[in-house]
Amino acid sequence: MRELGLTYTTAIDRKPTLKSRAKSLGRGTKQTRVVHALNDVNLDVEYGHVLGVIGTNGAGKSSLMRVIAGILPPTQGRVEVFGKVSTLLALGVGFNPSMSGRKNVYLGGLAAGLSRDEIDEHFEEIADFSELGEAIDSPMRTYSSGMYARLAFSVAATTRPDILIVDEALSTGDAKFKEKSLNRMKELRGDDRALILVSHAMLTLKDICNDVAWLHKGKLVQRGRPDEVIDAYQEFLQVGKSAAIDEDV
Amino acid sequence: MSTPLQVYEPFRAGLPPLIRYWKSLWSRRRFIAEYSKSELHEQHFDSVFGQLWLILNPLLLSGVYYLLIIIIGGSSDSTRYAHLTASLFLFYLISNSLSSGVKSVTTGQRLILNTAFPRIMLPLSATIVAISKFLPTLVVFFVIRSFIGLPYSWQMLWAIPVLFISVLLALGLAIAISCVNVYFRDIASFLPYLTRTLLYLSPILYEASSLKPKLRSLEIFNPLFPILDSWSRTLVHAQAPVTSSLLQGLAWALGILIFGTYFFLSREREFAVRL
Repeated sequence: MRELGLTYTTAIDRKPTLKSRAKSLGRGTKQTRVVHALNDVNLDVEYGHVLGVIGTNGAGKSSLMRVIAGILPPTQGRVEVFGKVSTLLALGVGFNPSMSGRKNVYLGGLAAGLSRDEIDEHFEEIADFSELGEAIDSPMRTYSSGMYARLAFSVAATTRPDILIVDEALSTGDAKFKEKSLNRMKELRGDDRALILVSHAMLTLKDICNDVAWLHKGKLVQRGRPDEVIDAYQEFLQVGKSAAIDEDV
Repeated sequence: MSTPLQVYEPFRAGLPPLIRYWKSLWSRRRFIAEYSKSELHEQHFDSVFGQLWLILNPLLLSGVYYLLIIIIGGSSDSTRYAHLTASLFLFYLISNSLSSGVKSVTTGQRLILNTAFPRIMLPLSATIVAISKFLPTLVVFFVIRSFIGLPYSWQMLWAIPVLFISVLLALGLAIAISCVNVYFRDIASFLPYLTRTLLYLSPILYEASSLKPKLRSLEIFNPLFPILDSWSRTLVHAQAPVTSSLLQGLAWALGILIFGTYFFLSREREFAVRL
C-alpha cells in the first residue's frame, strides 16, 4: 500500500428516502457528508507474516481491510495485492439462513470466489474443522452464533487462501474454537501465506502477529513489533495493561 | 511464488474496465446460479407446493380478470381469455423482475460490504428468479391454449425473440431500479403503483387492435406495449408480429438495459459506503 487515501461521500440518513429528499428541497438541509477514512497510509505485508491492525472505533481499520480486499476503491495511492484474497470481515457472508450448512458451504465458498471443484475438494476438511457434525445438514437458522462463526471461519480459512483478512470475526466463537482458529492462522503463517488480523484482543495479537499497525483517524500512527506498538496504543488509551483490553471485546 | 497481481487505484468517474468486469462476472456464473437458487429456496419455490403456487397465483389472477371481462363484460370470445392469460403471465415476468430487483442491492448489503464481486450480479439474480417463476406458467398457458383449441403455426416461433426482448427489458429495469433504491430506499413503496399503471396501460385486459387510433399513438411511450402486443400475436393468434412493434420493443429494451447498466456500473463502486 502506497500513500493510500480513502475519502467518500455517504448519506447522513441511514436509509435515505425520496420523501425526505423532497421535504428538504429548498431548506438547504445537508443530505450527505464527506468521510476521510484513510490518509497517506503506507504498509507492506509479506508472505509468511501476520499483520495485526489496531485502533479505536472509527480509526479506519475496516475501511483499510475493504480497500485491500478490493471492495472499496482507494481515492489516493495504490494497492498491489499478490495472490488470492479471502476475507472474513463479517461472519456468514453469502450464507442463506434457510438453507443447510452443507449448501451454505458451497454458497459461501462460491461467494468468496472459489470454484465448485475447489469446494468439493475441501468440503470434508471444512465440515470437520467446523465440528458441526450432523448439524451440517440442518438449516443455518437453527445454528447458534458460535456454530455460524465456526462454519464461516472454516470456509474462509480451510481453503488456504494466499492472503486471509480477518476482522474481529472470531469474537463469537467459544474458547476452544478460538484456539483452534488461532492455530489454523499460525499454520497459514507457517505455510507462507499472508494474514491481516483486525482485533481489539491484544493478547491474541501479541501471540500471533509479527507486526502490528496502529491506525488513528485514518492515519498510520505506528508500525512495528507487537509489544512496542500495543504498549504505545494502551498508553495512548490510558488503560494500561488491564485484563479488559487484553481479552476480546 | 507465482501469484496473480491485482492493483487497486483511484478510478476516474464513469465505467470500470469493462472487459475485466464482464470476465469477472462470467467467472462467477456458478455463484449467480446458486444465489438465484437460494433465493427461490427462501421463497419456498423449490418445493412442490411452492411450484404449485407459481402456477396457481397467475391462474387465479387470470380467473379474476376472466370473471370481469368474459362473464361480467359479456364477451364470449375464448381467444380473449387466451390473450389475457398469455399477456398476464409475460407481464408478471417483468413485474416480478422489478419487484425482486428493486431490493436486490440493499438486501445484498453484507455481501457487498465484505466481498469484491461485480455488483450487477445481484439484479441479474433477481431476473433469473423471475424467469424461473415464469417458465412453469408458460406450460400452464399451453395447456389452456390446447384446451381452448386455438390453432398452432410455425409463426409461433416468433415468441422466442419476443421472450428474449422481454427478458432484456426485465433485466434493464431490475438493474436500473436496484441502483435507484440505494439512494432512495422508499422507491419500492411506489412500485405497486407503477406496475398497476403499466398493467392497465398495456394490452393485457384488452387487445391492442381494439384501441382507438388516437390512443394507439400513445403506445410509443409504453415499453411494454409493443412487446405484449407481439407476444399475443405470436402465441395466441399464431401470427408473425408486426416488424415495427418488434423493433420498437427491442429499442425500448436495449435502451433501458444500456442506460440502466451504465447508471449501475458508474455507481456501484460507492455502494459499499452508501449501504
